[in-house]
Amino acid sequence: MNFLLRISNKVSNAEKTLAIFLLGLMILLSFLQVVLRNIFSTGILWIDPLLRNFVLWIAFLGASLATHNEKNINVDIFSRFLPERWKHFTKTVIYIFAALVSFYLLKASITFLLDEYESETILFTIGQVNIFSWWMQIIVPIGFGMMLFRFLLFALQYFIKAVFPQTTKVVS
Amino acid sequence: METVLIVIVILLLALFGSPLFAIIGTIALLAFHSAGIDMSAVIVELNRLANTPTLIAIPLFTFAGYILAESKSPQRIVGLARALFGWFPGGLAIVSLVSCAIFTAFTGASGVTIIALGGLLYPILLKENYPEKFSLGLMTTSGSLGLLFPPSLPIILYGLVAKISIDKLFVAGFIPGMLLLIFLSIYSVRHGIKSEIPKIQFTFKNVFEAVKNSAWEIPLPFIVIGGIYGGLFTVTEAAAITAFYVVVVEVFIYRDLTLFKDVPKIMHESMVLVGAILIILGTALGLTNYLIDAEVPMKLFTYIQELITSKILFLILLNIFLLIVGMMMDIFSATIVVVPLIIPIALAYGVDPVHLGIIFLVNLEIGYVTPPVGLNLFISSYRFQKPISEIYTSTLPFILIRLIILILVTYIPQLSLFLVNLLGIE
Repeated sequence: MNFLLRISNKVSNAEKTLAIFLLGLMILLSFLQVVLRNIFSTGILWIDPLLRNFVLWIAFLGASLATHNEKNINVDIFSRFLPERWKHFTKTVIYIFAALVSFYLLKASITFLLDEYESETILFTIGQVNIFSWWMQIIVPIGFGMMLFRFLLFALQYFIKAVFPQTTKVVS
Repeated sequence: METVLIVIVILLLALFGSPLFAIIGTIALLAFHSAGIDMSAVIVELNRLANTPTLIAIPLFTFAGYILAESKSPQRIVGLARALFGWFPGGLAIVSLVSCAIFTAFTGASGVTIIALGGLLYPILLKENYPEKFSLGLMTTSGSLGLLFPPSLPIILYGLVAKISIDKLFVAGFIPGMLLLIFLSIYSVRHGIKSEIPKIQFTFKNVFEAVKNSAWEIPLPFIVIGGIYGGLFTVTEAAAITAFYVVVVEVFIYRDLTLFKDVPKIMHESMVLVGAILIILGTALGLTNYLIDAEVPMKLFTYIQELITSKILFLILLNIFLLIVGMMMDIFSATIVVVPLIIPIALAYGVDPVHLGIIFLVNLEIGYVTPPVGLNLFISSYRFQKPISEIYTSTLPFILIRLIILILVTYIPQLSLFLVNLLGIE
C-alpha cells in the first residue's frame, strides 16, 4: 500500500513539473506570437498548433493532478449529510465506479491512438522535423491510465477506512 | 425498464459526488455503444480540445486570475475604490461591490472573491459600523458579481459551447451587468444613510496616492476590455497579454510574488482547476455530438411544446430550471452540460442565443447564493465563521434585488441586445 502511494506521489510530482513547464512555455509563446503578429505583422507558423495541443496536455495533466488531490468537480448533494463511516463506504463505491469509467475511456483512447499511429498524420513541422499527431495525443491514454490508477488506490484506501475506522488514514 | 434503472443508478452516483467527467463519460460511452458506434468516437470528439483556438484562453486567464488573487492586488484595488467612492453615503458598500465585480471578472470562479476580498472588506465594513447582517449578505452576494464583464471565464466558455461570438456576448453583458451593480449600490446607499455611517473625506491627495499605488494594475482592465470591445485583439490574444503582464507586474514590479517559489505553486493550483474543467468539457464534447446527431434537443422540444405554448411561459420555467441548476452545479459544469441542450429549444421558442447567454449567466450567478445548497453560502459561512442559517437570512434581500434584475433581463431582450445591434458586432 505504502509502495503504491509513493508511486502516486512520485508521478504527481512529475506531472506537476511538466504542467508548470508547459504552462510557462504557453505564456511565453502566446505572448511572443501576439507581439509578432500585432507589431511586426508576422508570426511563427508552428506556435498556434503547438499551443492548441498544449491545452490537451494541460487538460490531462491537470485532471490527473485534480484526481490525485481529490479535486475533481462533482455535484455532491447527499454525502455531506452522511455519518463519517457511511461517507467512506459511498466514496469506495464512487471511486470504483470512476475507475471503471476510466478503464473504458483508457481502452477507447488506445484504439484511437493506434488509429492515429497507423494513419501517420503530420500535425505540423518545426524546421525539418515532422510532428506526428499521435505524439501529442499520447497524453490521452496516459492521462486516463493515471486516473484509473488513482481511483483504484482511493477506492482501496476508503474501503479499508470504512471497514477498520480506527487504524488507517487516507493519504494522497 | 432497463434504461430507467440505468438512469437512476447514474443519477444516484452523480448526486453522491462522483466526478462529473465520469458521469458524462459513462453516458457518452453508453450512448455510442448502444448506437453501434465504436467507443473510440468519444475520444475522437475529446481530441477537439486540441483543435479549438479559443480554448487557449482558459488556462491563461485562470492562471492570471490566480496570480492576482495571491498577490497584494486585492488590497490595492480596494484602496483605489475607497479613494474614489468612499465619500459617498454607503460608499464602502459600493467599494465592496465594485472591487468584487472587477475581481470576479478576472478570477471567474466566484468562491475566490469571497476568500480573497471578503477577508479584507468584511472587517472594514464592521469597523465602519455597517450592520453585521448587511455586511455578511453583501460579501456573500458580491462573490458572484461581475461574471458578465470581460474577461469572465464563464462567458468565454458559454461562447465556446454555444458556438457564438464571445465579443458579442461581452457587449451584451454590459448593460445587465451595470444594472446589477447600480441596483445593489442603490440598496447599499439607502442602508448607509439609514445606519448613519460616517463618510471618508474625498481628497485629491488620497486619490493620487491610491492611483500611484495601483498604477500598474489600472491598465489591466483597459487592455482587456478595450482590446476586446474595440476589436484590437481576440480573446485568446487578450489572455496571452494578461497572463504575461500580470507575471511581470506582480513578480518584477510589485515583488509580491517570487518567480521560482510562488509562481510555480500558483501555476500548479490553477492547472488543477483547468484540468478539472477541461476533462469535463472533453468528455462532454462526445456526448453533445451524439445528442445532436440523435436530435435529442428537438425531441425534447416537441415534447415540451405540447405542455408549454408561449414564449413567456417557457422563459419563466427556464428561469426556475436554471436557478435549481445553478444551486446544484458550479457554473463551468452547468455551462458544459446544460447549454447544448437548451440552446436549440430556446431558439425554437424564438429566444436569441446571445440573450439566452445573458439570462443563463445572471441565473447561475443567483444560483450560487440560492439556499439551501448554493456553493457561495458555504464558502461564506466557512470564511466568516458564521452558521449557515445566518448566511441564509442575511443574503435574502440581496437575492431579491438580483431576482428583480433577472426578471428585467429575461423579459426585456433589448437590455442585452441593444448595444450589440447599436455597435453592429458580428
